[in-house]
Amino acid sequence: MYHKAVIYLTALAGAFGRVMLMLNAKPSVKSTLKALLYLTPFLIITGIFAVWPLIHAFLISSYTHYNYYTNQVGAIGWGNFVTLWHDPTFQLACRNTLLLVLIVMPITVLLSLLIALGINHSRHLAGFFRTIYFLPFVTSTVAIGLVWNWLFRLDGGLLNRFLGYFGINAIDWLNDPHYALAALMVVCVWQGLGVNIILFLAGLNHIDQRYAVIATLDGASPWQRFTNVTGPLLLPITVLIVVNTSITNFKVFDQVYALFHGTAGPSNADLTLMYYLYQKFYVENQFTLAAASGVVLFVLVGSLTLLTYGYYRHRRRQLGGR
Amino acid sequence: MKRFFRLSLSLGTLLLLGTLSACTQHQAKPIAQQRVTVTFWHGTSGASEQTLNQMIKDFNHSQSTYKVVGNSQGDFANVQQKITAAAKSHTLPTMAQTTYTNVPNYVRGGFVTPLDPYLAKQTVGKIAPNFKAATQYQGKTYALPFSKSIRVLYYNRDLLKQHNIQVPKTWAAVAKAGKKVRTQGLTGLALDQSLSSEVDSLAQAAGTPLYQRRPQLTSPEIVGATHVIYDMLQAKTATTAGADGFGNVSFLKGKTLFYSGSSAALGIMQTSTPKGLHWGTAPQPSYQGKRRPAIAGNDLVLFKSASKEQRKGAAAFMQFLLAKKQTLKWAKATGYLPLTTTALKSQNYQKYLRQHPLSKAAAQSLPDGFMDPTLVGYTQYQADVNQMLSQLSSGETTPEKGLAKLQQQVKTMLADQ
Repeated sequence: MYHKAVIYLTALAGAFGRVMLMLNAKPSVKSTLKALLYLTPFLIITGIFAVWPLIHAFLISSYTHYNYYTNQVGAIGWGNFVTLWHDPTFQLACRNTLLLVLIVMPITVLLSLLIALGINHSRHLAGFFRTIYFLPFVTSTVAIGLVWNWLFRLDGGLLNRFLGYFGINAIDWLNDPHYALAALMVVCVWQGLGVNIILFLAGLNHIDQRYAVIATLDGASPWQRFTNVTGPLLLPITVLIVVNTSITNFKVFDQVYALFHGTAGPSNADLTLMYYLYQKFYVENQFTLAAASGVVLFVLVGSLTLLTYGYYRHRRRQLGGR
Repeated sequence: MKRFFRLSLSLGTLLLLGTLSACTQHQAKPIAQQRVTVTFWHGTSGASEQTLNQMIKDFNHSQSTYKVVGNSQGDFANVQQKITAAAKSHTLPTMAQTTYTNVPNYVRGGFVTPLDPYLAKQTVGKIAPNFKAATQYQGKTYALPFSKSIRVLYYNRDLLKQHNIQVPKTWAAVAKAGKKVRTQGLTGLALDQSLSSEVDSLAQAAGTPLYQRRPQLTSPEIVGATHVIYDMLQAKTATTAGADGFGNVSFLKGKTLFYSGSSAALGIMQTSTPKGLHWGTAPQPSYQGKRRPAIAGNDLVLFKSASKEQRKGAAAFMQFLLAKKQTLKWAKATGYLPLTTTALKSQNYQKYLRQHPLSKAAAQSLPDGFMDPTLVGYTQYQADVNQMLSQLSSGETTPEKGLAKLQQQVKTMLADQ
């Protein structure tokens, strides 16, 4: 919800600018009002479904005595955040979520880039591979969870059968708290590949081939071509992919739900921030704590987005852009 | 710009005309013929949903004042979530299927209403004694039982015969049988993902309920009761279902002697049994001479937002479901328990049990069965209990440590309330 609000607001700013350009007018009160009129439907939808829930969540997170159903607020304060700070379950959820982002995001991005470069080179099979890799993105997460549940099984699971060929003992991926998070990471990497490959391919197709030709004429090796030509030109799309993948992994929920039969794994080994939020809201009816955990998630996602954007601008300046 | 205004004006006029004509049509219907619509959200699916739909149809045909419109939300968790959202947005149905343990939250939220003014006096009296306590909260009837099940012991007849093991009557016998077959690569007991019902039953039998206003979680009795399951898990004579959810999955593979599960699983067990596997059911084993199987399932509640006529209609439908004929029909088709004493004792049901011996264990267990009390903060406490039990099953904690930690959590929770 929160990251959607950020996206909506960014889109809104962009749309506003575009409308002003379309109007082909210098910004004035009249032209601004005109632009606002065009944007009204979008503003209403964004306001109702993104901005208001965001504000509401912030407000609820500050209520320390609150009847969710009757909307009666008894007291406000920082109590919910203090409770979260001292809650070992919340700490576990934060730890698991950060581990997911820090491990899954780089692996997903790197693998996607490698696969996209490979597909880009073998153009004959590009369509086929694109479809193969994109399938996880368009398949229902519940179906994916069920299939992976079968792959990870201790008795007869495909993964353990495969490990058995190398003399590795069968691992109870889904029921051993030491391996359950790793199992979730595998699913998240696999599921995240599809869309990132497509985005990288789009980025690669946008790069003018003449740069590579010139670099080759200058005697650049494939690695030098990648680090000095392809890599820098892919920077904008890489930033988008990094931010998008990070946000996706901050919000992991349905994979956990489907993989572990409606729980957060053995001994909460796969408890993520989104799962914590769900648990507090729908299972335990602790609405204010759920809202507060949502605010923490928003701050984490927002900070990461800003940091990545800051780094992007810094690199762009380094590379001679504006 | 002019064209835009003209278009807007035309659209507005059309919309107004449409609305007015709809209102006129609405008024044109003769009021006397209108039935009061009772909306009903439930979480049944498959065969249970079909049976319920038929019962709704039968009710609608049995009288001309009310029309019940059933709406399945897919599963029980979805119904809860939908109620939470609808209570906030003031779009609740007339009645819904939920667990009675949610009633304190609903009362606090002010959106559930007592059934007493709309029920015939003898209605609650008809309900089987073990279900009755859960209907009451703060001296009023808020929930009527609907889909109720009880814990039973499923046993593999082939394996028991092969290893010359009797159907166990005590938990000690279950543990002993597990040890006996362990060396042959067999498991003694399959448990569901959550150990809650078994530990709850054992704690009840030990006289120290797990769920009560001020639980004594560090008492030797409850620690000892929890050890029964924990020791079997440690000795690898018992396994939990883990990501499978329910223990019937591993039980039906034919390498497990027993499965402690819900009587409601009977139907799915029968349809999923592989060829050549034979199993039976027995009442849950006793602990320290007492048998206290946990009763689970869902109930029916009435929402305050319903009009007086809708409330009357919902109450009439609930009473219809409690009628001997209907509750027996429901029990036979779904595997849930009949809800009234008359139905349980009826010739019809006894005959059914003789013809369907697998259903006997549940019916025999009912007099010993118990339901957790209706407590404020039940769901929050239940989540903490489940977390502790999950750590227990993965060997990350012991009953002593886990229960002591839970006791601390309870203290904090009570202080917050």
